[in-house]
Amino acid sequence: MLRFSRFKRSILITATASLMLFTACAQKPDNSGEFKPGLKTDTACSIKVAGNYSNFESLESEFERFYEYYPNASLNYVYLDDYNNTISSALMSDEAPDIYVTASWMLEDDKMGPVFENAEILSDPSLKIDLDCVRKGAKLTLENGDINMLPIFTRSYGMLVNMDIFEKNNLKVPNNYSELVDVCDKLKAAGYETPIMGANGTTVAGMYYAFDFPLFCYDVIKNPESAAPLNAMDKSAGEMMRPALLKLKDFVDKGYLNPGRCSTEIEDDYNAVIMRFFEGDVPMMLGSGDMVSGTLKRESKSEKFQSNPFKYKFYVVPIGDDGGYFLDAVNLFFSVNKNSSNLDMTNEFIRFIMREKELGNMAQIKRLITPTNDFSLDEVYSSLEGFPEDKSFSYQETGLNDAVNKEFRAAAYKVANGTLTVDEAVAQYGSLWED
Amino acid sequence: MKKSKVIAINLMIMALILFFIIKYVNTKMSESNANAVEAFKKMTISAEQIVTNYLFDEQHLCDIWANYINRSADAGTPMTAEEAISFIRKAKISPSIYGHLIFPEDTLKNGISTHHALKDPEDYSVSYRNIDLFGNTFDIGKEDGVVNLTRAYTNPQNGVQSIAFMNYVKVLDETTGDLKEAILMRVEPVSSLEDKLVFFNGEYDRVEISLINKDGDYLVHGKSLKNSNFFEYFKSYNQADSTVYNNMTQEITSDLGAMKMLNSKGEECIISHIPLKSLNAWYLLAYIPARELVANTVVDWLLLGMVTLGLLGLLVFNYIILMTYNLKLSEAAVAANQANEAKSHFLSTMSHDIRTPMNAILGLNEMVLRDSHEEEILAYSESIRTAGKTLLEIINDILDFSKIEAGKMDIHNADYNFVSMLNDLVNMVQTRAEEKGLLLKLDVDRNIPMVMNGDEIRIKQVITNILSNAVKYTKEGSITFKAGFKEEGPETVRLLISVTDTGIGIKPEDMKKLFMAFERIEELKNRNIEGTGLGMSIAQSFLNMMGSHIEVESEYGKGSTFSFELVQVVKDRTPIGDYEETFRNSVLERKKYKESFTAPEARILAVDDSEVNLFVFENLLKRTKVQIDTATSGDEGIVLYKQRKYDVIFLDHMMPDKDGIETLMEMRETPGTLNARTPVICFTANAISGMREIYISSGFDDYLTKPVDPGRLEALLLKYLPKDKIAPASEEKEEKSQLIPEFIYGIEAIDVNTGCKYCGSDKVYMSTLEKYLENAKKNREDIEGYLAAGDLKNTTVKIHALKSSSRLIGALKLGDFAERLEKAGDAGDKATLDKELGELLDQYGKLVRELEPLQFYKKAAEAESDAADDRPVISEDDLKKAYNDIRESCDSFDYDNVSDIVESLGKYRLPENEKGRFEALKKAVDDFDYEQIPGIISGEEQ
Repeated sequence: MLRFSRFKRSILITATASLMLFTACAQKPDNSGEFKPGLKTDTACSIKVAGNYSNFESLESEFERFYEYYPNASLNYVYLDDYNNTISSALMSDEAPDIYVTASWMLEDDKMGPVFENAEILSDPSLKIDLDCVRKGAKLTLENGDINMLPIFTRSYGMLVNMDIFEKNNLKVPNNYSELVDVCDKLKAAGYETPIMGANGTTVAGMYYAFDFPLFCYDVIKNPESAAPLNAMDKSAGEMMRPALLKLKDFVDKGYLNPGRCSTEIEDDYNAVIMRFFEGDVPMMLGSGDMVSGTLKRESKSEKFQSNPFKYKFYVVPIGDDGGYFLDAVNLFFSVNKNSSNLDMTNEFIRFIMREKELGNMAQIKRLITPTNDFSLDEVYSSLEGFPEDKSFSYQETGLNDAVNKEFRAAAYKVANGTLTVDEAVAQYGSLWED
Repeated sequence: MKKSKVIAINLMIMALILFFIIKYVNTKMSESNANAVEAFKKMTISAEQIVTNYLFDEQHLCDIWANYINRSADAGTPMTAEEAISFIRKAKISPSIYGHLIFPEDTLKNGISTHHALKDPEDYSVSYRNIDLFGNTFDIGKEDGVVNLTRAYTNPQNGVQSIAFMNYVKVLDETTGDLKEAILMRVEPVSSLEDKLVFFNGEYDRVEISLINKDGDYLVHGKSLKNSNFFEYFKSYNQADSTVYNNMTQEITSDLGAMKMLNSKGEECIISHIPLKSLNAWYLLAYIPARELVANTVVDWLLLGMVTLGLLGLLVFNYIILMTYNLKLSEAAVAANQANEAKSHFLSTMSHDIRTPMNAILGLNEMVLRDSHEEEILAYSESIRTAGKTLLEIINDILDFSKIEAGKMDIHNADYNFVSMLNDLVNMVQTRAEEKGLLLKLDVDRNIPMVMNGDEIRIKQVITNILSNAVKYTKEGSITFKAGFKEEGPETVRLLISVTDTGIGIKPEDMKKLFMAFERIEELKNRNIEGTGLGMSIAQSFLNMMGSHIEVESEYGKGSTFSFELVQVVKDRTPIGDYEETFRNSVLERKKYKESFTAPEARILAVDDSEVNLFVFENLLKRTKVQIDTATSGDEGIVLYKQRKYDVIFLDHMMPDKDGIETLMEMRETPGTLNARTPVICFTANAISGMREIYISSGFDDYLTKPVDPGRLEALLLKYLPKDKIAPASEEKEEKSQLIPEFIYGIEAIDVNTGCKYCGSDKVYMSTLEKYLENAKKNREDIEGYLAAGDLKNTTVKIHALKSSSRLIGALKLGDFAERLEKAGDAGDKATLDKELGELLDQYGKLVRELEPLQFYKKAAEAESDAADDRPVISEDDLKKAYNDIRESCDSFDYDNVSDIVESLGKYRLPENEKGRFEALKKAVDDFDYEQIPGIISGEEQ
């Protein structure tokens, strides 16, 4: 069960999206693309943004762009140590931030109460914030229809594809499961012993999560009645994992995936994954959007990539018979401190960045996925352009809680590594995750 | 120079000026910028001192707390953690400063705080478990005076970005009763440190002070410095390889300095850096955009723009001024051209105006030379000829120079006889040399070809100029004229001409003036030498036109040699032979003028508005016996042209009413004329450039310039007269003048020559004699009458008139006698008059009687004249009309017209019975006695 049902704030997943869309349309903000300042442009203010990124250069670039309209404004990003613990205090202090980073899980955490007590309702039409620019899967709406968290970055799960290898072997990036199998066969035949690699772990950035967790989610969405027993850790509900686990087992058995080799060659699910991919001999590297975000800076750090650069793109894994599934997950939200001493200008800044252009710019710099539908700014994510809506969804749409997520990750890891058979894993549902 | 070139040069100069300004300004700016950076660095030092002092002060306060707690422990009364925190809570002044006590032994890095957590008023615990502040160990110095400072971190109690000063304290472990070590943290908001640095903004508006640790992590974070790490920031926005990166980190973490880098906007900024004293791990960075601190080191665009605009303005202004001046110059050039045309016109006029009287002067002089037998007269005449020729030379020089200057001087090559040319040259110079007592030496190569092709006239002018100069500038010694040649080609020879004199020579510094127009060398010294200073310039110009030039060798005071070489086409290679011998003979045989031919059957027509010119013309040809008809206007000439067949026609160009060209056109248009093929020669004083072409193109066959050169006149006639009408020159003796009768020479009381001299000519002398005789009777009666009447005054006046008139006819003794009595009369000496006047009148009477035969001579001459009179007979009606006109003119006092009519009557033969009346009219006009005229005419009518 969704734990957030226990909290004062609950979310209504986008079942009401169309209603909200209507509401948003009724309060039509200017989303022509060109920002028009709503306040006097000579307004002076000091706005502090607090977050848990040690570096937030993409946001700092937005500060600079905002200064073009409000040259007397001064915006500052502050990294808070132990953010999850200190943000509540920070919001109560004399130096409380005006904007602060939030995450969906915070809604479920009682300790985060002060965080949302101070959050401004950003769906207030008077603020004229363009919420329509956010795509369906990235929008988080409270049960009462309010929005107090605005998605800044999203991530998904899938694979980085070495386009040069595919081109060199006259292969097309697969669009469905059978093509994926076929491509793997051909790649193996071409000498790529392990066509698909990734971090052999249980994290969401691990390869199994990216490989077939979206398939599992899609199956749950198709069978919504399965959500409750899954959330309840009902052992019988483990059957819902079987199709995904079978495909994973099949890939391991066929040698398309090699957990042992991945463990040896890839130490972690972020830096090592990226650096291994840049060695240029991995056709497909599984991971999360966070992995992709780290590629740009690491291109210069990889001597092999520097000496033999290649073109690469992000794709969701075509694990379904009719293609892959785009699991939409918000990486980072912004909330506004309603007690801000510069609330008008703070809202003006939020209004400024909540546009396709600015969100796209930030995502491009961070190399995460924009929460809008415009994927054109970063070619790496160009495969997501026009992705079928019926195969795009957020985790929240599954109705599953975090524990189910962990159970699946544990099951997949154990099956892939041979610790459990598919049957055993299905049977042990509810007790698979080990802290 | 073309306009575009001028503009290009101006723009180039502008570019150079701008380049210099840029270089200069950049140098100055660089110096200024360097100074600004130095000043900025000094500010950094001040900031460092403030920060360091602040940090030491804050550390000191932390140490005081620690010392107090530790002293308690040392005194055996250690504080518990709660007591220590309680002490600090009391000791601290600012509520924003927190005191944390952390126990290193606690792996969770927990402790207690002076403040409760903002989230929970009851919670004074503090945990650094999730804050990476100490690393794995608590590496904190225990020495006094050392600042133990954390990085900027989030105070877990209040979520505020803070820094902490640390020291060790000993507190009592309540569970064990032992002392245990704890870390005392004096936690302060970063903003309190930032506040210390705000005042720098007064000096530098956009300075941002940051503090970083050795890894580049910020303690204090300037607004413009993105990222959480300065070194990462540098790497993100500056193209830096590992070497540059390492140098940068090394530089910043070593010493005071300044560096340039790009900020996140790609703008240049300056970072001044300095390590914090005694805090080796912390460094102060002062950031400022470069444009705020230093001027643009590339170029001050405003200055450059203004200078460029200024220079462009100057260029445009100068261009406009230049164009204005050019316009004025163009106008001036047009005016100058007009003036030049006016000059040409003036020269043309001058040519005409000077040459016309010169024609008369030289022509008449030629008559004198031919007709006079008196040595003195001939000498005078010769001087006139010399001076006239000199004057003509000057005029010719000016005209030639004018032609050359106008570019209208052409070279006309024709065959010429070299000996003939030599003759002309040598004849010219021989005379002049002899006059100055100079010896003319000739050295002529006997093998020079006889006939060559070239512009003889110009060559002759060149040599004449050189020879003339030689004569002019040589006082004594000789002139050597040398003519030689060498073979040039199969049909050409190179003439080698040189003239060496023993004259004054030329100073080396004057050589350059030699060929300059109007320049005369040593003008003061040679001022008595005639000349325009054009001769050598013209000669050089002619030679240049013929592809040669004059060479000069000269030694001042000793003489000069002028030479030139000229290639000539050979037409007849027959050697000229021994020219010197030929010339010597010719000199010996030189004699008075003699006509070159006679053509008594030839008839020519001469048309000129000047009767004098016609008179000269007729006389010049008198001995050729050519029959000459003259006309004084074009119309008159046309009448004659239609009436008679002429062999040659001379037609003056410049005539009133109808000029020579118009007259010629009308003549040529006459149908069925006898003179259709008669050559017409333009008779002109116009020698200005281009006139020859005009005459030839106007239909003239040739032209003859005034003053008429007798030789050329005869040469032209020889050329154009029918050969069958030309006969050899007459061998008759020279005609003797019959003007003065022989008996006059026999009168003792008269000196004929003196009389002629006084009268100016034989004719006037004769007229004067006639008048003397005519008036003698009346004069005698008047003198006797006045004396008888005692009118001494009028007696003296009449004696005075007798004196003058007697002397005029050469009766010098009688004149002297009259002068003596005149003086007596003036003195009132009547007695002398009474005594001697009789004698004077006797002598006067004697002379008159001796002159009386003159009346017969006059009548005989008139009879002869009448017999030979071929004037047209005037009709009766015309005569009546003339008398009538005279009377009317007298009535209207138009005596000029009276004079003209009487004069015109003289051109007709009058009836015998009218001759007396005509003479009376003529006398009345001569005596200005116009009142008599109506009476004289009335007598006729009656």
